[in-house]
Amino acid sequence: MIHIDLLIVGAGPAGLMAAKEAGTAGANVLLLERSHVPGGQLVKQTHMFFGSEEQYASYRGFDISEILLDEIKKLPNVKLALNATALAVYDDGIWAAEMDGASYTKILPKAVIIATGAGEKSLAFPGNDLPGVYGAGAVQTLMNQYGIKPANRVVMLGAGNIGLIVSYQLLQAGVEVLAVCDGSPRIGGYLVHAAKLRRMGVPILTSHSVKQAAGQGRLETVVLWELDKAWQGIPGTEKVYRADVLCVAVGLSPLSELLRQAGCEMVYVNTLGGYVPYRDSFLATSRENIFVAGDVAGIEEASSAMVEGRLAGLSAAKFLGLSTPDFNAKRNDCMTQLESLRSGHAGERILSGLAQAVIGS
Amino acid sequence: MLEKTGVPTQSEIESVFPSDERLSKGPVAVIECFQSIPCDPCATACPRGAILPFADINDRPVIDNDKCNGCILCMTKCPGLAIMVVDITWSQDRALIKMPYEFRPLPDVGQTVQALDREGTVVAEAEVIRVQYNKSMNKVPIVSIAVDKQLVKTIRNIRTICDTPTTATHTAIQEEAQDTGIVCRCNDLQLAEIRALIAKGYTTIAELKQMARLGMGPCQGRNCLPVVVNELSRALGVPVAELPVGSFRPMVKSIYLGDLAGYEEQGEN
Repeated sequence: MIHIDLLIVGAGPAGLMAAKEAGTAGANVLLLERSHVPGGQLVKQTHMFFGSEEQYASYRGFDISEILLDEIKKLPNVKLALNATALAVYDDGIWAAEMDGASYTKILPKAVIIATGAGEKSLAFPGNDLPGVYGAGAVQTLMNQYGIKPANRVVMLGAGNIGLIVSYQLLQAGVEVLAVCDGSPRIGGYLVHAAKLRRMGVPILTSHSVKQAAGQGRLETVVLWELDKAWQGIPGTEKVYRADVLCVAVGLSPLSELLRQAGCEMVYVNTLGGYVPYRDSFLATSRENIFVAGDVAGIEEASSAMVEGRLAGLSAAKFLGLSTPDFNAKRNDCMTQLESLRSGHAGERILSGLAQAVIGS
Repeated sequence: MLEKTGVPTQSEIESVFPSDERLSKGPVAVIECFQSIPCDPCATACPRGAILPFADINDRPVIDNDKCNGCILCMTKCPGLAIMVVDITWSQDRALIKMPYEFRPLPDVGQTVQALDREGTVVAEAEVIRVQYNKSMNKVPIVSIAVDKQLVKTIRNIRTICDTPTTATHTAIQEEAQDTGIVCRCNDLQLAEIRALIAKGYTTIAELKQMARLGMGPCQGRNCLPVVVNELSRALGVPVAELPVGSFRPMVKSIYLGDLAGYEEQGEN
């Protein structure tokens, strides 16, 4: 059994920032990362980040990951375990993890921060189980993390930021992007990303979705069609593409199973991506020693995830009795940054979602 | 319109272009940032204070064209690649456009490339005058091209390798009536099967688990449940938030029984 002050699950942008903040306050931290590399989704983000200086704006995601890791390495009281998956939490507060990809280990932490991130949502349509129908994030991993050209000719389903960014990165990898489509009548992602694709000659079809994927043994053909106002396909509007990959980028869903196992009270909030924990404004859940940060608390940009990680790290340190003299200043800084990141048009959906999930404070 | 097409209209482009008078005075930045998003590096990047400080991170950039001298610093900091620099004084008949270019191979100086408009249509040829790329540039190469002055508001991209983009066809393909799409990959459940079960009255996650092993495979519901809760919501006319939630038990992923059986309490460490 490992006894530790703070267990952090997930070494993505939120988990790394949480480890840095709680570690700086003096907590002994065990940071679990199921992948063999830390950084979460940062490691495959080759584009420059939005936000402002405090959230490393203009840096590319994989560079931000290196910066955060260097900070973590300076803290001897923070142990980062790779190939380590949190498996379960039991009624007596004991957590189980698979360490080094094989050995079953029990952990008794005084406090826990869940920063497990999110998974890609899927969509049901004829032919969606053909080889060649992939999540856009999976294709991005194959391409940017492992250096494998994933396809020759791609149709992208989804014009949110992931669909737009992965399409652009496919073009950078020398892949032809035949079309980006989205069921919504408006482009959901940032319009600067859309403009980058359009001036490369990639069509963006709003109010369009996939009717069918087809092929002998693997994807060969994608049929798109226009949707009416009730989001139903309009016969006669079909467009047929000869593609070897169809990327599905229809949103993310918080990976919140551990929170549910832990008995945290949950709520389904559509604008936050699915089931998320009730939490106070400082990211404490209904279980007093469990905190959350990043996409598992609601789907947002990585910039917000980093600030939330820092805030959860501060909250957990305070819970452990490790408040530093500048605690209030740091916490106020986090709150101000989050408020600012969520204050614009793009933040309206997030704020309406948070209104349903944030209680007390 | 931009929200539907991703292409700014002519009046939107005009709204961010400096006046003809300013253009005639030499290089100047043009920022095509039409949407309020939380992002401010352009304002903090400008050493001359030409991009006015933001009161709110969601502000759109406002540029003081008299202070801007067309240096490329803001271009290398803009995550949206929304900035270019134009100089219509570059020669008698040609203007110089500097733009970020994140593709390989980078063009060679002197090379003739295709000049594209904001929809990716080839509108002219352009000569590559300069390619800037060094460590201080944030991994953003800047390519300078010389183009016909008349096209300075039209050209927004280049293409170095010329190929013909493929378009959609209208060839009919075989409809497969049986296939409604897989919802649960672990247990091979089609959307139609889930809908049939719901129609028979199995209207909770727990019942669907018992009837069809939905969510009980290696993914533990991570793939199928977001789809199924929306199907239930639609069929029952009840918001997802009001549906009963299924139970979640250890483990969150498959592990070997041998790993569990081989577990020994190591004592304190």
